[in-house]
Amino acid sequence: MSRVLSIAREESRLWLRSRLALVTLVIFAVLLAAVSIATSLRMSEEYHHRSEQQALAEETFLSQPDRHPHRMVHYGHYVFRTPPPLAMIDPGVDAVTGQSIFLEGHKQNSAVFADARAGAELGGFQGLTAALVYQLFVPLLLIAIGHGVFIREREENTLAPLLAQGVTGNELYAGKWIALAGVTLALLLPLAIVSAAAVVRGEALLASFGVISLYALYLFVWCGLILLVSALVRSRALSLGILALFWLASALIVPRIAVESASSAMPAPGKIETDLRMQADLREVGDGHFPGAPQFQQLRANLLIQYDVERVEDLPVNFRGVVSEVAEADLTEVMNRYAEERMALEARQARFAENFGWLSPVAAVSAGSRALSGTDLAAHHRFLREAEEVRIDYVQGLNRVHVEQLDYTDDINRSLNEEANRRTRMSAENWNVLNEFSFQPAAAGERLTQAGAPLGMLSAWLLLLTAGGIRAARRMQP
Amino acid sequence: MISMLAAQSLSVRRSGQEVLKDVSFSIEQGEIHALLGGNGAGKSTTLLTFLGFLKPASGSVHVQGRDVNGNLGAARQAIAYLPEAATLYGHLSAYENLHYFLSLAGTETGREALDDALDRVALQPDARNMRMETYSKGMRQKVAIALASLRDTPILLLDEPTSGLDPVAIDEFNRLARDLAEAGRTILLVTHDVYGACHVADRIDLLQNGVLVGAFDRPEGMDRIDTEAVHAAFAQHAGA
Repeated sequence: MSRVLSIAREESRLWLRSRLALVTLVIFAVLLAAVSIATSLRMSEEYHHRSEQQALAEETFLSQPDRHPHRMVHYGHYVFRTPPPLAMIDPGVDAVTGQSIFLEGHKQNSAVFADARAGAELGGFQGLTAALVYQLFVPLLLIAIGHGVFIREREENTLAPLLAQGVTGNELYAGKWIALAGVTLALLLPLAIVSAAAVVRGEALLASFGVISLYALYLFVWCGLILLVSALVRSRALSLGILALFWLASALIVPRIAVESASSAMPAPGKIETDLRMQADLREVGDGHFPGAPQFQQLRANLLIQYDVERVEDLPVNFRGVVSEVAEADLTEVMNRYAEERMALEARQARFAENFGWLSPVAAVSAGSRALSGTDLAAHHRFLREAEEVRIDYVQGLNRVHVEQLDYTDDINRSLNEEANRRTRMSAENWNVLNEFSFQPAAAGERLTQAGAPLGMLSAWLLLLTAGGIRAARRMQP
Repeated sequence: MISMLAAQSLSVRRSGQEVLKDVSFSIEQGEIHALLGGNGAGKSTTLLTFLGFLKPASGSVHVQGRDVNGNLGAARQAIAYLPEAATLYGHLSAYENLHYFLSLAGTETGREALDDALDRVALQPDARNMRMETYSKGMRQKVAIALASLRDTPILLLDEPTSGLDPVAIDEFNRLARDLAEAGRTILLVTHDVYGACHVADRIDLLQNGVLVGAFDRPEGMDRIDTEAVHAAFAQHAGA
């Protein structure tokens, strides 16, 4: 063991004494620190901004004056997806999916962007996140300092003396691995600090530890690859070329192919086409604004029988309110069916693309990072479902007020009679049907389960590369 | 008596070419044995085979009576090896290099012993703390020789040990080699320097194109092997 540590110590001393390696390390350390701080500040600001917007939206809704409940259904409300604490590391889909939804009756609106302020402030550099730096740039640093780790021993004629001292291939490999892993762990320090800050902000320790472990595993995969290539080839230029090519394929080409393949293998129908199909289905349900529509005749008949009356005016409930309530439920069922179909397709595409992690460690780590940070597609889908729950709850809550508290005769005469119109204005206290909304990430255990496949892929990469590296190191000859 | 080093009908192939052909010799304890030959004669290949870096195509090599094949660890433990054009680590000083390599070999050596070894190869004291990347080829060679001599091993394999050394340093090396041999250590050195080999070796085997073509012993009572005879044989076989 002391030999292994001596080799590791010597390798580290070489890097520390090499100006190029040292300068590169310092540059990356500064870059990592700067990007980590910038991402943390940005996401922290986003969190507070969206939380404030959410509170303001709720306050605005609740402060509406007395009015007809259906006007409140159309007045609508906003919900905001606040970024989870670990978004400070990986904002994930935050930048490409909307972060707020306008909720209103009879419609499921798409998520939209809260604003474009952050992007404008950062001059478009908001895309450079800590996650991206760790996924794409830190491997380049490891390649730069490690590509010649074994080759140098050959080129400088020190491999023979090393092996002649009785050092085995295993010991040499372990020593070099520890040295490179030591650099990796040092580079993970900013990530660990931001993860700790996320815990302070309420993130589960398990999730934060999971993110650090995921990135450690990922960077160890690169260490394994670098050592393997360095042990196999005989020139630094070739080693650098192979590793750069692998980086290019893994970081840029395979993830792109993954997305394109997922889209080709499971094509999504166009939005216009889907919207037209859904509108046709919704028309069959009927428009709740028109209680006389054929779709509601059966409902009318059933109610008259149920309450044993001749006319809707004699019902103990507001027929228009009942129609609104039933129509909303039916519309929602149709809209949910389409939404679930779309989300299921997107989830299948995401899983398909995730499998490219077997070909690219970058694809694996990015999927795992988003899952553990609570910023993946599944989290966005959860936001959409939770937003829909808020929508249907408050809309149906208002419809219930319409059904139970608003007189039908006043309701139908409100355009003709000012007094009737006044009586249809329900007390603003009824607007309390709106539930407070606060989007929270999934439980840490659930996120860890979602990240299971990427973690498995990276573990397999590490095992294979380490086994290959040890085998190559054992066979190394001067 | 068991030979410290022995090659028996040794043949070795490298890149499909047979570079050693049916070579046999043995070396006893305290002997300085030189393998002399031109470029590509198979001298360094012989050393690498004793170290187990190359495997015999046929025949065998033995260290302290044990076949290297199957006893590689023990063989390497018994051998201190000076490779050709050893550079050691340029980012380390002479002291740091010696300390590092000796610690890998499990040899604990104090500063005094290091200085003693460096004195014997005549490395200037003020250079010993400087990084070796600033050294000349000869200075590096001196540190490598010091390293080999400091290893507490019964056998030294030296590949072109005097390459890059000035005449004074070569004399220092010859004295050191003699002292080590007198202390019971066995030395196998390879060189193409006829004059140097004749002055330091007890026996010279002349190797040409992987074949042993001649052997010369130091006559009893003489301080060197007959240089002219060796030179003539060397020239004859090089011309052939």
